[in-house]
Amino acid sequence: MLQLWLLPAALIVTAVLVSIPLSKYCAWIMEGQYRPLPGFGWIERKLDSGPQDWKQYTAALLIFNLLLFVWGYVVLAVQPIMPLNPRHLGMLAPTTIFNSVTSFMTNTNLQDYSGDVHFSNFSQIFFTISNQYISAAVGFCALVAMIRAFRGEQKVGNYFVDMWRVLIYMFVPAAILSGVLFMQQGMPMTFKSTIQVATLEPGAMGTDDKGVAKEQTIVFGPVAAAIPIKQIGTNGGGFFGANSAHPYENPSAWTNFITCFDMMMFPFTLVLMFGRMLRRVRHSIVIYGVMLTLMVGMIAWAIYFELKPNPGLTAHPASVTYKIPSATAKGGFRELTIPQVAGLPIDQHLGNLEGKEMRFGIVAAPTFAALTTAVTCGAVNCAHDSLNPLTGLSPMVGMWLNCVFGGKGVGMINILLFLIIGVFIAGQMVGRSPEYLGRKVGAREVKLAVIALLVHPLMILGTTGLFAATSWGTKAEFNPAAHGFSEVMYQFTSASANNGSGFEGLGDTWGFNDNPNPAPTSRQLDIAAGLVMLFSRYLPIVAPIAMAAFLGMKKEAPSGLGTMRDDSMTFYWLLLGTIVILGALMFLPVAALGPLADHWGPMPFGG
Amino acid sequence: MSRYFSKSFLLFLFVIPIICIIYPSVLWVIGQVFFPFQANGSIVNGPDGKPVGSLLIAQPFTKDEYFQPRPSAASYDASASAPSNLSASNYLLRDRVARALGPIVVYSDGPKKGQQIAPDIEAWFQQDKFGGQPHIVAQWDDAHNELATGWVSADPTHAAYVDDWTKKHPNEVSKWKKDNPGTPDPKAADLAVLFFETFSKDNPGKFPSAVSHQGADGKTVTAIEPVNQGSDIQSIFFDMWRQEHADAPLQDVPADMVMASGSGLDPHISLPNAEYQLDRISQKWASDTKRDPKQVRNEIEQMIEANACAPFGGLAGEKFVNVLELNLALRNKYGQPQ
Repeated sequence: MLQLWLLPAALIVTAVLVSIPLSKYCAWIMEGQYRPLPGFGWIERKLDSGPQDWKQYTAALLIFNLLLFVWGYVVLAVQPIMPLNPRHLGMLAPTTIFNSVTSFMTNTNLQDYSGDVHFSNFSQIFFTISNQYISAAVGFCALVAMIRAFRGEQKVGNYFVDMWRVLIYMFVPAAILSGVLFMQQGMPMTFKSTIQVATLEPGAMGTDDKGVAKEQTIVFGPVAAAIPIKQIGTNGGGFFGANSAHPYENPSAWTNFITCFDMMMFPFTLVLMFGRMLRRVRHSIVIYGVMLTLMVGMIAWAIYFELKPNPGLTAHPASVTYKIPSATAKGGFRELTIPQVAGLPIDQHLGNLEGKEMRFGIVAAPTFAALTTAVTCGAVNCAHDSLNPLTGLSPMVGMWLNCVFGGKGVGMINILLFLIIGVFIAGQMVGRSPEYLGRKVGAREVKLAVIALLVHPLMILGTTGLFAATSWGTKAEFNPAAHGFSEVMYQFTSASANNGSGFEGLGDTWGFNDNPNPAPTSRQLDIAAGLVMLFSRYLPIVAPIAMAAFLGMKKEAPSGLGTMRDDSMTFYWLLLGTIVILGALMFLPVAALGPLADHWGPMPFGG
Repeated sequence: MSRYFSKSFLLFLFVIPIICIIYPSVLWVIGQVFFPFQANGSIVNGPDGKPVGSLLIAQPFTKDEYFQPRPSAASYDASASAPSNLSASNYLLRDRVARALGPIVVYSDGPKKGQQIAPDIEAWFQQDKFGGQPHIVAQWDDAHNELATGWVSADPTHAAYVDDWTKKHPNEVSKWKKDNPGTPDPKAADLAVLFFETFSKDNPGKFPSAVSHQGADGKTVTAIEPVNQGSDIQSIFFDMWRQEHADAPLQDVPADMVMASGSGLDPHISLPNAEYQLDRISQKWASDTKRDPKQVRNEIEQMIEANACAPFGGLAGEKFVNVLELNLALRNKYGQPQ
């Protein structure tokens, strides 16, 4: 039993303990109370374009992201003619480039390509690493602007200075520290691309036409530079196709622990930083508690179901007959019998091992799956497509709610949307005009919150419906029936939540532009997911900043006897209830069509 | 607004050199100075001093003298890592696992305790009856069209065999064309289902499989022929056999032996998996080196014990061993396998 819960417990305790001092540090940096490193003060003054109001701040953010888009496009497009490309990799298909560029600039890191197959080290450094630093800082800055607006400040800071502070004083030092630990454990750090090795048993890889034993070609590169920021920035775009399941990207149980901790570090910290900067630490602890509750629930759910054996291989002793409503059958029902199935002789006491690695320990994979989607990282250390059907629900819920700590800043912003709506509902129930931070929440604020909140389900359900109903989706499905539907739904959920993990069986890879056999509907998937990522990234950043600004402009009323305290248990239950109820209303139907149908459906399913 | 463009440019100008050049260079220097082995891929050398592989990357082993790694969905291609992505509901997963099990599973109890089930699968297959109905292959074909098609596409010799059969069965093929007007010019894979259906009736109790013969000139010739025993029968039809022998007591196989890893390159196997392979490996080395099997077994068992370790010293998982490390130790101790 100890083995089961030690890893997740240790992770959460470490992240909580670190977030307390780190939030103090972050607030100190963002308030500008530090003394810049020698020479860096000059850069800061060069970057500073003066205090900006919320509109100017948002404009600066969007303009900078426009440049980031161009930067990413150019770097990927010139891959064939750039250095550090000894394998002479060509250019990716234009739709794949569009998808990858939007994916990395929106902090999603959905990968319709494979890093080890399609990217040269030049692209890994100048596309992957640069985007992973910068896009993570963008969300961070948006949250900081929102906090300052909540404080009633007209000028919410300077975007360029904020970006500089986040990148230089937080991400770079944390990434270097992690990188050193990773290398000690076996992560490669070289600018070479491949190494050829003869296998110990000559010819085990097969022989070529002349009968000469084939060598094994091993791809590596500056992995230890890419992975720290991939995790710290909750990006999740892997150096290799297998992501954190790859032995070079995650060489041991220790790196797996640090990898998990890295992605939790800033999301945990930002909640407390919110409280410190608003001088409402108790309030932020309540929010922290709600997030922790949901996170523990998701981890426990994933572990419980993933420790069960893979149901496709076990016995199903009784044959089951279902009555299915049917328009054509007599009496309106037809019968479907699922015969009994004998189990295969496999010792599955470690749970479902398909798509898992041995070195991380038993519960590392489900823990990682729940964490990576809760904090919208999107790295994976096992094949999510092969998770047991109900385990797969845990990552989906994490992405649907998208506020259980969430990504850099964005998760915190999302929970504030739920919070405003929760406060509004509570106000309606007691017949008082709703308040938040001592200010009256008006129609305009609620409208903005609802717009930002509704983008997410609209993007997920709309695109999933379109693709599931047409050959665009069905042709891309790799696994049968309900699980195939889950693959499509997971893809768009992941895109909309800016997560980036996937049920990777889905045929979404075009690859190089001259690939003669691309996945048939990869072009449609590339473009649709790209657009979803753009909408679901920028609307829920712009609308909440506006909301915070409008709320901040209002007069702060002293709290009275009738004021609902935002640092109480009542508030905890209100927020938790709002999230659970709204989440269920939005996503329970697709959960029933996907993982739940998969679980209760016939197993295995024909073929 | 144009001011924001110029400031954005400036931000790029300051930040990109730091995060894309200085940051990786700092890590590179630290890695090459303090952790050169790890930073260059954990590459180990073989007995001849040349690099034979990475301790972190699985490579295939086919000889019985060596420990075998976990199955790989990437065919151990370390330039294109990939998991199988098969869901539990996908029959292809059960089929792949069952094929791996058939030739190795043994009885755990009863009069045949410790003996392999493979001969029993062959004997049962030769009777050509499943669920009280004749023609096992035709039933397999009917239930799993995808597998039948997969067999034809798996190897060019399979497709050629079906093409041969097509020429000899013009009536069946023209009837198929009439039923499938959308495919006027069917390829071998399109006809797979029809092929197995007729094959099963023409060759009761047999399955097309590769057989090697010594030709008159002393050369070995491999061709597809109907056979009633061999590894194809043991693997492909194990799952059907199991359905009719659900109560047969079989010994469980460690899961990581038949379930593929997340990267396709998992360099480790579980300790029970290594112990499961121990008998095969020690017998083979004993006969190769003409030494006492018991003694060889003890030696190899000690090597396994010495290599085994567990995540966080056993706090968060069970023991596993590194396959390449063990096999390299075997190779260094006992020499070239025969």
